[in-house]
This record gives sequence, structure tokens and C-alpha cells, in this order.
Amino acid sequence: MKKIDKSKADAYFREKNTYMIIYFIIWALVSYGVVLFAEPLSDLYFNGFPFHYFMGAQGALAVFIILLFVNAFVGDKIDKKYGIDHNKNEEIGRESTVEH
Amino acid sequence: MNTQFFVSMAIILATFALYIGIAVFNRAKGTSEFYVAGRGVPPVWNGMAIGADWMSAASFIGMAGTIMVLGYDGLAYIMGWTGGYLLLTFLLAPQLRKSGSYTVPEFIGDRFKSKTALIIAAICTMIISFTYSIGQLSGSGVVIGRLFEIDAKLGTIIGVVLIAIYAAFGGMKGITWTQVAQYLVLIIAYLVPVIFMSLQITGNPLPWLSYGEIVGKLGELDRELGFSEYFAPFEKGSKWQFLALMFTLMAGTAGLPHVIARFYTVSTMKAARWSGAWALLFIGLLYFSAPAYAAFSRFILMTQVAGSKIAELPAWTKTWVDTGLLQVADTSADGILQWNELIIANDIVVMATPEIANLGVFVIGLVAAGAMAAALSTAGGLLIAISSAFAHDIYYRILKPTATDKQRLNVGRITIVVATLLAGLVALNPPGAITQIVAWAFALATGTFFPALVLGVWWKRSNSKGLISGLLVGLGVTLVYIFAAKYGGFTILGIIDTGAGVFGAIAAFATNIIVSLATKPPSQEIQDAVINLRYPEQMTYKDGEVYLEE
Repeated sequence: MKKIDKSKADAYFREKNTYMIIYFIIWALVSYGVVLFAEPLSDLYFNGFPFHYFMGAQGALAVFIILLFVNAFVGDKIDKKYGIDHNKNEEIGRESTVEH
Repeated sequence: MNTQFFVSMAIILATFALYIGIAVFNRAKGTSEFYVAGRGVPPVWNGMAIGADWMSAASFIGMAGTIMVLGYDGLAYIMGWTGGYLLLTFLLAPQLRKSGSYTVPEFIGDRFKSKTALIIAAICTMIISFTYSIGQLSGSGVVIGRLFEIDAKLGTIIGVVLIAIYAAFGGMKGITWTQVAQYLVLIIAYLVPVIFMSLQITGNPLPWLSYGEIVGKLGELDRELGFSEYFAPFEKGSKWQFLALMFTLMAGTAGLPHVIARFYTVSTMKAARWSGAWALLFIGLLYFSAPAYAAFSRFILMTQVAGSKIAELPAWTKTWVDTGLLQVADTSADGILQWNELIIANDIVVMATPEIANLGVFVIGLVAAGAMAAALSTAGGLLIAISSAFAHDIYYRILKPTATDKQRLNVGRITIVVATLLAGLVALNPPGAITQIVAWAFALATGTFFPALVLGVWWKRSNSKGLISGLLVGLGVTLVYIFAAKYGGFTILGIIDTGAGVFGAIAAFATNIIVSLATKPPSQEIQDAVINLRYPEQMTYKDGEVYLEE
């Protein structure tokens, strides 16, 4: 086990959190945000749908799925940047069980 | 007994044989396989299994109908039942996976070093999962009953026996792989009819691209008839109810023990992240399609059924009027069926579509198999959650820590069988409508586990007294609001019983925080363990230092 700089680990955590907060802001805007402004948005049309309905039925969900895949990709990249080896993680992960 | 019965029966029996075969092939050989599928399910397949687990019989049959009846306000269910996966994947899943626990109560018991917390959490898990499974088993009984024209009770019993067999055999490993098969069955069964309807109505085989125009047309038709438009916002409830319901469903997703447990079956935190993404993609396929079903069905009903002479209604309406799901009245006594003289039950939308679109006996049988797949997959996930709460958390962790692997497996198997039989018994005479029971389960999860887990993972200062008081206050406030709103007509900002989770969550967060700060902080060891959850498996935090395993 090699000791690493705590500041490096802190930077890892901060970087992950920054992305997470961005994802949550977008998540909130496309769902709660659109609902809050549903009435004015209902005057716009998109692909035949009134816009507020489009977002509720398709737009928000599409954004959610994209955000989750982005999170997975970016999460892997951040891990790699900090020298994490995923095969090692797998080894550790498969055996991990709480010891009683 | 006609051709339809035999075709439907044949397709369903074929799928049952497939599920049992998979469960036997994957029978659990140890507790790790029984509770967490050996921790090695690849993310794509895990995501597919989550999709099947998530889509219950009630949703498969009823969601499209709910959206048709509620219009825009029904979309709170679409966003609510999908958006929660972000809360789960970002805030809880990877961290709980790293903790190494088998169940949510075990995580809580270890995080707070409290047997009391473990027991309360295990009991809450059993109550929430048991309530939810009553809805599923009763729903599957209705499906089998309606399709085979036998009593719904008999249908419930058939479902119960089947699940008890393959869940007890395969445990989480068997359940996960059968859920993959069930997902494939249910997605095909759901998509085939709506694709054909899209072709017939718009000439475009892609319903998700074509139904927007139909939504616009429905609005025009409504305006002509003098009704508020199909897509008009907040016709059925206040804006605050929409927001509260959406939040309750999202936070409940992240707080339901049987959903969280689906992330224990993968190998790493990275796999948990990818699992969440794949899960929402597979779930999304269904949820993108439900509003399309709703729009097409309403369009057909408005243009081909309403406005016709009552004596000349299309052939397919006769059978549905016979089942009572479609009601035709002539209050204006003019021999013509007006739109407001037609009463439509939610369930008709998905089940009648193959007939409306003239798709033939095979597709109708396929839809029946799809509904069964949805029911079985959800029930399976719930029963494992109940079994693990009793056999692992209470029996093994509290009552008999010296139990051997074999003894633990046996207790696990027996618990599944007993829980299934009990739930089945109650399901024969359910205490409420299925969607209502499910809504209450979500509200309870939002008010109890969501705040407890989020604070447990992200706030190292949260201690056992804070957790326990938070859990109990959240539970109390949610229950009180549900009863007050439902039976007393008491509402705040128009929020009804299905939005009660908001108040429970606020109360639980506040209580947990205040009580934790007012009492002793958790030990350094516990606080270190919480900080440790921030990093991937290779990094470990201990005594203020971080180590990298090479």
C-alpha cells in the first residue's frame, strides 16, 4: 500500500463533486424548472408537441439518460487521471464483504 | 375455450419454462450468490434486470391509461419514476457498493454501529417491500384472471407458486438473470403494438417521433368540443401537487430497499455508475412509449368511437364493454355517442391496443406474457429484499452470528417461500387499489430511507441517535399526512396523499441534523469509514491519510 498525498485525494473528491453538482442543476432545470414555467412554455411548439408537454414526456427523460452516461464516462476518466486501475478495483470489489 | 386462450396460454407457458430453466441453471450455491449474485453481474445485464424489476404489472398495464386520463399532470409519473435514478446513481449506489454490505439495513447497522438502527431498518424494509409486493401479486392475479377468464384469485395463486419456486432456488443470482429474460419479453410485448398503431395512424413506424403531432391534434379536438386541452397543465391538480408528487417519486426511487439492492450485485463503484446509466436507458424505452400509447388510443377513441352512432360502434368495442372497462351511455338520447358519454378505464389502453390495431392472436398473447413478465420480475426483486431483511439482517446479524453458510441459505430460502405465501394471502383481498398502495410505499421510502441514507453517506457527523429519531419522525409525519390528506381532506398548497413524502423528508432531514448536532459525534473510526466512501476501491482513507493499493 502506497501512501498518497491527501491533497490529491481531496482534489479527486472535489472534482467528482463539481461535476455532480452540474449534473444536478441540469436535472433540476429540465424537470422542476420546466414544470414551474409550464404555462408560458405551453405556447411554444416542438415536433407537434406543446413544449412543456414535450419536456415532460420526452425531453427530461432523454436528458436524464444522457447525464447518467456522461457521468459514467467522465467518472472513468477522472479515475484514470488520478492513477486508478480498474482491474485492481475489480479484484478488490469482488471480494469485498463486511466482516462480521 | 377459443384459439386466443390456447395461443396466450402457450406463449405464457413457454416464457415460464424459460424463467424456471434460467433459475435452475443459476441456482445459488452460497450466500454471496443468494444475496448479491456473486457480485459479478456485468453492468449492461444488471441494467436490463433493473429495468424489468422496475416495470411492474400495474405500470405495464396501467401507466399509459393513467397518462391518457390525467393529461399533462400524468407526466409527473414519467419524470418522477425516472429522475430518481440520478439521485440513486450519484448520491448512494457507488458508495453503498463500496461499503461491502449485502443489504440496506446492514449498511445502516454498520454505519451507525447500532443494533437498534439495524433492527428498525430491517423492519422498515420488510414493511415497505411487503406492502409493495401485495400490489404486485394482486395485479398479476388480475392480469391472469382477465386474460384467461378465470378468477383473479386463482391467477394470484398461480403467480405466487411460480415465484416461490424460482426465487427460492436461485436467490438474487437466479432472480437477476430471469429478470434479464423478462425484460426482453416485456419490452417486445410493449413496443410491437405501439409501433403498429403508429404505422396505422401516422404512417411512421417510430411512435416516439410521430405522436407529437397527434398530441397537438387532440388539443384541437378538445377545443372544438369545448373541453380544456389534453395537454393543458395543472387541470387535475395544483402545480405544487405536481412538484411534490414528482419529488416523492424521485426520492422514493432512491430510498426503496429493493431498488438499492440491485446495485449490490455488480463488482465495483464504476460498475454501479454504468449500471445506473444502462438501467435508465432500458427503463426509458418503456417510459418513452407510454405517452405515445395514451395519445394514439385517445385519438382513436375520439375519432372512431366518439361521434359514431351507438348502434354502429366498431367491433372491438363490444368485448370491452362486456368487461366493464369501457362504458357507453346515451345521456343526450340522440343515438350518437359523444366524447363525454364514453367512460374509459385506465387498463384498457395497453390491453385493447392489439385489438384496436387488429394485430392478431399472437400479439395479444405476447402482451399477456409481457404483463406476466412485468409482474414476476418486480415481485421477485421485492421478495429477495424481504428475505434478506429477515434471513440476513435479523437472523444472521442479530440472532445467530455463528450460523454456517448452509444454514443461512436455508433460512433465506424458507423466508422467501413464507413471505410469498403471506403476501399472496393478503393479495387475495387487497386493502386498496394497486396504484394507491404503491404510492404509499414510495412516500414511506421518501420519508424514511432517503434522508437516512443521504445523510449517512454524505455527512459524517450524523450519528445513531440522529438516524433513529430521523427515521421515526419521517415515518410518523408521512403517515399522518397521508391519512390527513386522504381521509380528512387536509392539504397544504393542494398537495394530496401521494405527495406526502415531501413533508416526511423535510421532517426527517431536520430531525436527523438537529439531534445529531445536539448529541455526541460518532467515533473517529466511523467518521473515517464515511470519508473512505468518497474514493474508489483502490484508495483507502485511514487516520487522516490516504493509501493506494497497488
